[in-house]
Amino acid sequence: MLARLSRFGPALTRFRTNPAFGARFVSQSPPSGAAGSATVSDLQPSRAKESHGHAEVSAFEKNRDYHGFSQDPVVDEWNMRMAFFFGISMAIVVGGTFIHYLPDHGMRQWARREAERLITQREAAGLPLMEENYYDPSKIVLPGAGEE
Amino acid sequence: MLKILIPTLMLFPTIWFSPAKWLWTTSIAQSLVIALASLSWLKWSSETGWSSSNLYLATDPLSTPLLVLTCWLLPLMVLASQNHISPEPLNRQRTYISLLVSLQMFLILAFGATEIIMFYIMFEATLLPTLIIITRWGNQTERLNAGTYFLFYTLAGSLPLLVALLLLQNDSGTLSMFTLQYTQPMHLLTWGNKLWWAACLLAFLVKMPVYGVHLWLPKAHVEAPIAGSMILAAVLLKLGGYGMMRMMVMLDPLTKELAYPFIVLALWGIIMTGSICLRQTDLKSLIAYSSVGHMGLVAGGILIQTPWGFTGAIILMIAHGLASSALFCLANTSYERTHSRTMLLARGMQMILPLMTTWWFVASLANLALPPLPNLMGELMIITSMFNWSHWTLLLTGLGTLITASYSLYLFLMTQRGPLPSHIIALEPTHTREHLLITLHLIPIILLILKPELMWGWCF
Repeated sequence: MLARLSRFGPALTRFRTNPAFGARFVSQSPPSGAAGSATVSDLQPSRAKESHGHAEVSAFEKNRDYHGFSQDPVVDEWNMRMAFFFGISMAIVVGGTFIHYLPDHGMRQWARREAERLITQREAAGLPLMEENYYDPSKIVLPGAGEE
Repeated sequence: MLKILIPTLMLFPTIWFSPAKWLWTTSIAQSLVIALASLSWLKWSSETGWSSSNLYLATDPLSTPLLVLTCWLLPLMVLASQNHISPEPLNRQRTYISLLVSLQMFLILAFGATEIIMFYIMFEATLLPTLIIITRWGNQTERLNAGTYFLFYTLAGSLPLLVALLLLQNDSGTLSMFTLQYTQPMHLLTWGNKLWWAACLLAFLVKMPVYGVHLWLPKAHVEAPIAGSMILAAVLLKLGGYGMMRMMVMLDPLTKELAYPFIVLALWGIIMTGSICLRQTDLKSLIAYSSVGHMGLVAGGILIQTPWGFTGAIILMIAHGLASSALFCLANTSYERTHSRTMLLARGMQMILPLMTTWWFVASLANLALPPLPNLMGELMIITSMFNWSHWTLLLTGLGTLITASYSLYLFLMTQRGPLPSHIIALEPTHTREHLLITLHLIPIILLILKPELMWGWCF
């Protein structure tokens, strides 16, 4: 059945004997003809087989290590390498490291750590967490009462 | 700003002059490098909020996460479209990628703009590439109808904004975001003022979209090719939320007769769109309606004008951008195999593509806001601030989250579980490219759990 559908007849014979290749056949019932639902209408029905990836021929027949990037095995592999290198190794790993080690914006994390340290320190010493007079009253200069 | 804009601009020569064979490889590599470089925006150098390299372009904690999301989406869109665009003629492939790149450029200029009128122009400019992508590369003839809806809903909504902006320029003498936030709060007493208030928000409410003016969105999503759906869900809707937050700073204070109808509409929209999702048959339409529901929550969070509401809104925008884009990619992988978006026709996929089912599972969980994903953080912050504002909103938001969970489960069960229909006979195995694509969506969501302050907006 594959040979009938295949655009890559000569290439197919090479892999034919290998049971591991190709699309996964789940059911052996014949194709119904309408591969999709009624909602699909291809733009160019005459070219449907080679366009939009709608082709019935699996790319895995030509290239068993097909990664979904390109029909050309060399381009396919290199495209995958580039995408993984720049996507995972650079953007996720290097980028993630960069973000993790960003400077503490506005010293907020430092302030939090400092506050927690102060709380444990004051609790250990039995002091209230915060003095009633946060500012030393003797240092505050108030305007006179009669001043208007 | 220019360190990202110029490499983005240089993507055009990359696309048009690189050898045909290496077109996709080079554009993916370069756009990923740009995405990596865009992370440097997250290093905030100024304490005042804005860090600008020139007078016209600046970033602040509100726009930075959205800018980084924009840059991140371009390589993902290129990755996602590779399979169905690469059989086309070479020039058409190049045009397609160029459109995606121009979209990214307009979006960067929109999010980075300091003048509201420049933001407005870029906001409108993003319509063009999106329209071309939808109407040229959509799969069915209904795409033309969808394009008309998309264009005219957004245009009709945003023309009043232009008038309102010109009026504001006339009154205050400036449209710079730096200075406008320090203007006196306006007292909206006359009818003219109230109309002005509504005109300022209408464009963004249509773009979000809030329930009632959302009809263009499911159409556009269903008809658009995968890249169009991705950018629409991930970034273009967020343009509405971003614009609303920018305008809200000036539109103080919240008035009963103006904001209430929109808040009610947004919250009611969560219930309504959730209910619509529960009886959807079309996979992409379901995801599109779920976007409307989530954006309703965002609109509510912004409209009540509290710091928590704003923070929750931006967290939810980023998280939803990644999660819904991942769902659209997954829908596309199943569409490319079964050539149908109807969920009934592609059940039981777990039997054939188990790893894809894992991705579906994680993406559905992200969409229904599973703890500790940022989606939950955003929703919780919005729901809490809404609850503080009025206890009754909990009825709507609570029911909304329940329905969200139900339809996410419905989506997962419908597509992945159950017996395999007998008409599915020869499905392609999954490609490395597709797994990479979904991984690149989900890893950022998971990493954002660890450093949520990146998207806390003005609260941080």
